[in-house]
Amino acid sequence: MPDDAFDLAACLAAVRRRDQSAARQLVEHLHPLVIRIVRSHLPRRVAEEDLAQEIFLKMFTRLEQYQGAVPFPHWVSRIAVTTCIDHLRAQKRRPEFRWADLSENEAEVLDQVLSDERDETPNDALAARELVRKLLDQLGPEDRTVIQLLDLEQKSVAEISALTGWGQSMIKVRAFRARRKLQKLFRDLQRQEKS
Amino acid sequence: MNNFDQKWQRLTAAARRAPAAGDEAAPQGFATRIAALALEAPPAGPWFGVERLALRGLLAACALCAASVAFHYATGELTVEGEDEALIEFVNTDYELS
Repeated sequence: MPDDAFDLAACLAAVRRRDQSAARQLVEHLHPLVIRIVRSHLPRRVAEEDLAQEIFLKMFTRLEQYQGAVPFPHWVSRIAVTTCIDHLRAQKRRPEFRWADLSENEAEVLDQVLSDERDETPNDALAARELVRKLLDQLGPEDRTVIQLLDLEQKSVAEISALTGWGQSMIKVRAFRARRKLQKLFRDLQRQEKS
Repeated sequence: MNNFDQKWQRLTAAARRAPAAGDEAAPQGFATRIAALALEAPPAGPWFGVERLALRGLLAACALCAASVAFHYATGELTVEGEDEALIEFVNTDYELS
């Protein structure tokens, strides 16, 4: 977790004076924030360390543009999210998703969700997370990002707008379209399970 | 809330309960490497965005220039061809008359 005693303003001033030690401290301070974003938006076949490195290098390259209008971690988060979206866009083909591709635990969680009409959440959280990740892999990069931020990270539409730079109406439209795609996926999976 | 929304909410609620994956601290040597890489490059000044726009503008201008040369060349050829046909027609008419 970021250290509360860390003097970010002083550190940024030192980095602007090309102080290598301050730059190192800044990376260490922001690493938990960046790596959380990378892990939740990580495209397939991209190493999280490589993506984190790219985000930090972008941050340093653009540091002179930071005017302090938003808190520095928010500014870095935006760089991280947009970099992840760029990588997701570069990842053209998405593998077809079939019931047979699920692990035993994931299939069990999905079965529980699809068949159980009671308001009960599945017990296997790790399998549920992996299953959600596989489902989100089937969406386009922008739709996936919106659902990830909205439904998994429980951010508000205004927060997502600040992170991505997209308008609030666009975010709502994307969320609606993405949920419809997920609904269709659910129906297809249910059909596969029955057959 | 419809049936799908309920199912999706239950699934995401379960996914949110999963513990954070892995250590969040920077790996050994990561921060040092990034700091060295970042500070070896010259800093981007306040004109960084403008420079990028200017480069894009230059590329767009070159593309436009090439397109206009190609267009002029094509229409120039048509004009010459058209003129040739008109000349042949004129000459033929002239011979028929004489």
